[in-house]
Parts: sequence; structure tokens; C-alpha cells
Amino acid sequence: MGHDHGNVIKSYMQVFYALAVLTLLTVGAAMLPFPHEWGTPGDILHVSIGVAIAVVKVIAVMWVFMHLKFDHPMLRFFVYVPVFLFSVMTFALNFLESWAYTR
Amino acid sequence: MSSALNLAHEPVTKIPMGKLAMWAFLASELMFFTGFFGAFIVLRNSNYTVFGEGSHHLNVAMALTNTFILIGSSLTMALSILNLEKGNVKNFRLFLGLTILGGFGFLIVKYFEYSGKWHDGLFPGQEHHTLFFSFYFLMTGFHALHVIGGVIPMIFMWLKSFTKSGYNHPVKVETLGLYWHFVDLMWIFIFPALYLMIPYHAAAGAAVHH
Repeated sequence: MGHDHGNVIKSYMQVFYALAVLTLLTVGAAMLPFPHEWGTPGDILHVSIGVAIAVVKVIAVMWVFMHLKFDHPMLRFFVYVPVFLFSVMTFALNFLESWAYTR
Repeated sequence: MSSALNLAHEPVTKIPMGKLAMWAFLASELMFFTGFFGAFIVLRNSNYTVFGEGSHHLNVAMALTNTFILIGSSLTMALSILNLEKGNVKNFRLFLGLTILGGFGFLIVKYFEYSGKWHDGLFPGQEHHTLFFSFYFLMTGFHALHVIGGVIPMIFMWLKSFTKSGYNHPVKVETLGLYWHFVDLMWIFIFPALYLMIPYHAAAGAAVHH
């Protein structure tokens, strides 16, 4: 409410196209013919590309589709905390665990 | 009957309470899925051969179709909210109807995917079941339940819009929309984690694994 509807539809469409392109990109990147045996830098790169693209997609959805861009800053803060916890936990686990098993 | 406490007031931030409650619920949902992802990461790293072979067996084309269905339904959901805010009931119905169709489409593709897995004996208790498929069914299964949980109130709102009194609660649709986008968000992570992050170069051959 309050903002220009034409512009909102435009940003919705932009996010939709970005999601479609990034989806194809993530599948394409996963099929790139480079060796990614588990525990090698190739595997870390392979996983990192997938995670990085997913993070970009998630930010786009939350920012525009879930209206964080237009919402109260208080609500944004309320969202950052669990997202931060999710990221810390998954990243910490991923790196600590792969380090523990490749040692 | 008077009480010293007035608990009915809106928060000072003017964020609608339902919306704030939905974000709180989604935060708890995020932690719920974090448990799955945490266990998935730990067990992928300690059973990478099993996870690689399982992952290699999945149907990427079906998952890709479902990804497009979900992002499309996220767009139509956002457009349906916008149209209800504008008071354009006809377009609200159209876009909400498309979102419902998207939800059903997702579940139909999922049905075919699961029946393929049943045929290949990958369900728990079947002969080719592995640890990877426990995760596959757990994560995609809970995700599919979330899709069903989103479609039910959508159908209610959609049908209500045809009644005499109509349906004119944009904030409620927006709150449901938050949930629906969250279901899309979880799929954005589940799709690469389960289907794409194979810990070896699949084209070079899966069986050559030590």
C-alpha cells in the first residue's frame, strides 16, 4: 500500500525472471565438467556455488515477494536473527564436519 | 470487570499482529528445517558415497519442473495480494486460483516422483533404501506437507470470494503469502542440497567410486 503499483509489479516480474535464470544457472553449474570428488577443493567449490546461488535467490524472495523492502525496519531485524542463526549453524557444521572427516 | 492490563493494543510499530506472528512462526519453521539440514550436512560428510549415489539417482528434470512451478506460484501469490489491496476481486481470484493450481501441480509431480522411487524400491523398508533416501523422504515429504498446508487456506479464501459477503482481508492473504513464499524458500535450499550437490563428477561415472 502507498507505493506505486506499476513499480511493484515490475519488481515482482524482475524477481521472477531472476529466480528462473538463477535456477537454470544452479543446474548448469552443478553439471560443469570439473572434478569434485568429496573433500577436494572441487567439492567445496561445487557446494559453494550452489549455496551462493540459493542465498541470492532467498534474499530476492524475502526482499521483494515477502515485502521486507517495504516493511518496518523492526520487522526486518526480527527476520535477520533466525536467518543469521540458520546460516551460522549450517556453515559451521559444513566446514567443521568436512574438516573433521578429511583430516 | 476491569483489568489493569490492556492486552488488545496494536504494537507500537503498527505491524499487523497476524503478520508479526507469521514471521515468528516462520522463524520456528526455519529452525525445524535447520535440524534437517544440520543432520544432512553431518551425515553427507560421513557417508558421502551413499549420499552421492542416492543423489545421482534422483530425477533432476522433475525437481526442476517443480522449482519453476513454485517460483511461478510465488509470483501469482504476490500478484493476488496486490490485486486484493487494489480491490480488483476478479484478478485476485485469477491469481489466487493460479497459485492453488501451482500447489496441486507441485503435488502431482511429487506423486510421480515418489511412485518412481517406490518402483525402484527406495522407500524405507524396501530393498534399495539407503540413509540418503531417509533424508530425501524426510525433507521433501515435510516440504510437500507444507505445500498442502498452504493450499488448504488458499482454497478457503478463493471459495469465500465467490460468496455474497466476498473476501476482503488483504492482510490475511499477505500473511498466508509469507508462509507460501517460505515454502518456496525451503525448496530453493532443498533442491540443490538433495539433487545437485553430488560429491563427485557424475559424468565421469558414479560406479568408479572407491
